[in-house]
Amino acid sequence: MTQVYLPRTLTELWSYLDGEPEAQVYAGGTDLLVKMRNRKLSAAPTLICMERLEELREVTENAAGIRIGAVVTHTKLLRHPLISRYLPVLDQALRTLGSPLIRNMGTIGGNICTASPAGDTLPPLYILQADVELHSRNAFRILPIREFITGPGETQLQKREIMTGIRVRKPERYNVHHFEKVGQRKSMACAVASMAAMLRLSPDGIIEAARLAWGSVGPTIVTDATLEDALLGKKLSRETLTDTAQRIKQIVTPIVDVRASADYRRTVSGNLLLRLLDAQPQNYGKLSE
Amino acid sequence: MTLYFTLNGKKTALDVAPGRRVIDVLREDCGLTGTKEGCGAGECGACTILVDGESRLSCLMLALQLSGREITTIEGMAVERPLHTLQDTFMQKGGVQCGFCTPGMIMSAAALLNRNPHPTRSDIRTGLSGNLCRCTGYQKIVDAVEATARREEEAT
Amino acid sequence: MNAYIPEIGKPVPRADAAAKVRGAEKYAVDHYGDNLVWAGVRRAGVAHGLIRLVDTAAALQLPGVVAVLTGRDVPGTNRQGIVHKDQPVLADVKVRHCGDAVALVVAENRETLIKALSLIRVEIDPLPGVFTVDDALRPDAPLVHEEHPRGNILLKATIQAGNGQAALEGCDILLEETFHVPVVSHAFIETENGVAWQEEDGKIVLVVSTQAPFRDKWEISHALGLPMDRLRIIGPYLGGAFGGKDGATVQCLLVLAAQHAGGRHVKMWWDREESFIAGYKRHAVRMHYRMGARSDGTLQALHCRLYYDTGAYAHLGGEVMALGMEHAGGPYRIPHTLIEGWCIYTNNPIAGAMRGFGVAQVSFAFERMMDLLAGKIGKDPLELRLKNALRRGDRNASGVTLTQSTGIADCLAAVQQHPLWQDRRVWKKEAGPFHKRGVGIAAVFNAMGYGRGLPDSALAKVELTPEGHIRVYSGVSDMGQGNATAFVQIAGQILCQEYTAIELVQPDTERTLPSGSSAASRTTYTYGNALIKACEELRRRLIGRAALMLLSDTLDDLELLPGRVKNLATGRKIPLTALAAMMAPEDRVCISQFLMPVARDKLDTGKEFVIGFPHLLFSYAAHLVCIEVDELTGAIDVKAYLAATEAGRVLNPQAFEQQVQGAIAQGIGYALSEEVLLQEGRIMNPDFATYIIPGALDVPEMISLVVDAYEPSGPFGMKGVGEVGMNGPLPAIAGALADACGINLTRSPLTAERVLATL
Repeated sequence: MTQVYLPRTLTELWSYLDGEPEAQVYAGGTDLLVKMRNRKLSAAPTLICMERLEELREVTENAAGIRIGAVVTHTKLLRHPLISRYLPVLDQALRTLGSPLIRNMGTIGGNICTASPAGDTLPPLYILQADVELHSRNAFRILPIREFITGPGETQLQKREIMTGIRVRKPERYNVHHFEKVGQRKSMACAVASMAAMLRLSPDGIIEAARLAWGSVGPTIVTDATLEDALLGKKLSRETLTDTAQRIKQIVTPIVDVRASADYRRTVSGNLLLRLLDAQPQNYGKLSE
Repeated sequence: MTLYFTLNGKKTALDVAPGRRVIDVLREDCGLTGTKEGCGAGECGACTILVDGESRLSCLMLALQLSGREITTIEGMAVERPLHTLQDTFMQKGGVQCGFCTPGMIMSAAALLNRNPHPTRSDIRTGLSGNLCRCTGYQKIVDAVEATARREEEAT
Repeated sequence: MNAYIPEIGKPVPRADAAAKVRGAEKYAVDHYGDNLVWAGVRRAGVAHGLIRLVDTAAALQLPGVVAVLTGRDVPGTNRQGIVHKDQPVLADVKVRHCGDAVALVVAENRETLIKALSLIRVEIDPLPGVFTVDDALRPDAPLVHEEHPRGNILLKATIQAGNGQAALEGCDILLEETFHVPVVSHAFIETENGVAWQEEDGKIVLVVSTQAPFRDKWEISHALGLPMDRLRIIGPYLGGAFGGKDGATVQCLLVLAAQHAGGRHVKMWWDREESFIAGYKRHAVRMHYRMGARSDGTLQALHCRLYYDTGAYAHLGGEVMALGMEHAGGPYRIPHTLIEGWCIYTNNPIAGAMRGFGVAQVSFAFERMMDLLAGKIGKDPLELRLKNALRRGDRNASGVTLTQSTGIADCLAAVQQHPLWQDRRVWKKEAGPFHKRGVGIAAVFNAMGYGRGLPDSALAKVELTPEGHIRVYSGVSDMGQGNATAFVQIAGQILCQEYTAIELVQPDTERTLPSGSSAASRTTYTYGNALIKACEELRRRLIGRAALMLLSDTLDDLELLPGRVKNLATGRKIPLTALAAMMAPEDRVCISQFLMPVARDKLDTGKEFVIGFPHLLFSYAAHLVCIEVDELTGAIDVKAYLAATEAGRVLNPQAFEQQVQGAIAQGIGYALSEEVLLQEGRIMNPDFATYIIPGALDVPEMISLVVDAYEPSGPFGMKGVGEVGMNGPLPAIAGALADACGINLTRSPLTAERVLATL
């Protein structure tokens, strides 16, 4: 039978981890407990549940930006005015994640540490250039998320280390914030392809800044600085986007699985860019109606 | 180990292995078979319960996580009256066919209405999008939740 | 709730709803028991092979293991099956699909069970397998059942009418197309399960989620060599079935386990993955259609070749194919038909009964052919269907004369008049950027009952209890279709009692009477008809006995009212409790049998079918769907759905709508997202994360129109409506896709990927 611990403070957590360095740490359990059921993990590991760690359940704002504790649930983020106001691309992604039940239980830390190429929060966090806070008993470090996630299901998390939160700067320069996920149904769908985009458009539709990221089309989230740079100075037009879409189809490396073929993922990853054609610039930082 | 929590309004102390799934604790240790298991992997919502008023999947919770919480199952929905309004509307509006998804649906609906007392039909569908039903096609379930919202509005 | 008398035609709430909304209703899965043990199965994991070794020693030594059984421990024939007994309870010599049961373990708890199952050493020498119909039909194909006389062909059959395919030559228009539909799963939320125990006198009691508790006894008895009177089967309300619990699932295994459990309660509960791997499926079918018509659209001739992949064991494969073949021409007049069918064994999962039993598949084909024909001759697709629609008195494509209610033309007319059809062009124009809109229609039908060759019978039993209540002993399982409520309405209507005075006993082979399976859209019709007779007899009897108590010299003035019998002339009355006290127990029970009428045409075709052909009664529907296609992703979004259904009179408008809406939702899953993905017989998506059934956001608002008709043979004029709605969404959506984008997909499901690849 599985041994479980429920620390209330980080101090408690460290002592459990010291005693059981092989313990699996979880928060919501929506990934880990499913993996355990599928027996993809070794039988009866020791588990440490982080859900009661109050120190990791806060969303705060400071001059540098917004900090989200690792154990904040997706539902809490969706209801948080700081997120809807300042991180609309993350807000849009969270709406597509799982189901209300999964969102009530799952956490942003869990979504990041699971590091699925299809993780819904990841494309937004990549273009928001999130930094990941990592704590161990005696050490603390920060890694950009694209360095933290190293492969499908692989992160830089060390033994006896946990993720405690993420930090993002407010993306104030951008006036288009867009996320789309393609799945096999409208809820409880693992992304087959997804795209997060932030643009700054001039009043006459010239792209002045662009950040783009794609999910489910590579071992990790796909971004390409050259591609983003190539958009600068161009008008947001069908032609521009179609050209760029072609390049996207060349840089992504999707796999085939039970959900979709590689070709479909490749085609859609480019096509999704065209949805930006109707993007309307919005005033950043205003609470949505 | 002994876990202390509130179950359907009653303070409870239960001797149970901390790693036991909450759905098994409820169904087997507490004898509350109203909460159902349909998939064991968080995909169907049949196991939905309320934890401190929030809807959760009991098949993905371990017993230790019950500590100090207020747990509500379908058996605890009717408080001080024979039926909760949701239970009554589900009955009246035809939201129950085989009924196996019903307890989970009602719990999710209750959580939805607690948060949003005036949901649109689209809000209701989103709120129930984690609960699968194979019999009804969802329409009469949406009817029932809508009717509940209306009734509770009229009551206030 | 105020007292009321449940009556015919009223939207009476489900009789079982009150317990279900409280979580109080005990499904089979909610039965445990003191001192419970758990049973589980080790499955082959190999699609085709010879069992070299099953070593149970390590498992037996594990503390907490009560028994480990293999094929050699099975008494009796070790063969289960409904028509053909070809499926081992525990595989003995070979395995024929990945889900074949190889060993059975009984253990103190689930953890020990899982551990013990993993400790069994199973060695199987793989044999080459057949995974497509074509492979299975090759002359040198490996045989799934070596002893079967026709190789891998379970059944080859022909239905012919008129001049058959010869008539195709004289037609102005000739169309040809091939269609493919995949294996799909019932995906009921309550998986296969049961509890069994052996009583002191040796009798075995089984509480099981089953559509056929009485037939289960036959099946278990044959498989395990148990006399039928040593078995008692209780069939509670099911948490969904849709055909997947028709035929033994856990039953034989559980009874076997109970025989080795020393009197303890044994529980078996397949988890979701096991349900996918071992449970029954809908047949994948390849359908070759050649259709001939006059230039004005009058259908003349049809030649179909239908290939049904029935998987490793027969289950109801031949019967599914028979019904599909019977419906292959659609609800249309086609004077010349040749329908050929092959039902083929493969090493794929077992295909059996599923809602729309062989018909859901051919509906895709015949309706797409109608749209292709309409396109070819430039005719309105609805008008084309109306032109050819069957009417009462016509002969259908199998040659059966339709003597009973036949409302397809009325259904089509109802759709034609609806704003969704009338305003479709305007609606389509309003599609947004990167979206195309389309409207599609389908005319579908579905037979009721078993057809010829098998008595479609029910035995209703109704009782006046000592408490003065009416107790209906249902012989048919309620799997969610609501037949129990219909029975309450029938009893209430005839006996004039309040709903609180009407009790239901769900099927129990010791208390209720054999009434056939909960299948074939038959239960309310057949049992309902039997119940009407039983209730009318009970009514007469209660009045007759009351006359004795009330000293009435004539029965004419007596009336059965809530809780009493009253002499309306004198005003004197007697409470039912007093009446019951006066009557002998056997006098308070009425039993009546009803047999569904059969088609009388002597057909010189379909001779290969032992049972199930032809049928007499059909329900009909016309469907309309509005879709939006996303040109960037290929995704189809169903925006609106309309169904006009003719199923005789409606006993309960709410229950009717429930069935129609539920069937449409399942049909939408069948159309857009559901497919059991197989690779060399192995299911690649055996869970709800990868087998995609629609959620609340995937099903639109549905409009259900009742097309009124009177079916004289039906209880209060009704026919079964459970299945017909399932058959519409796939063809309707495919038609809408063609309308929106000009593409004709002939392979389902119509996934975004398939659509995008074709756009």
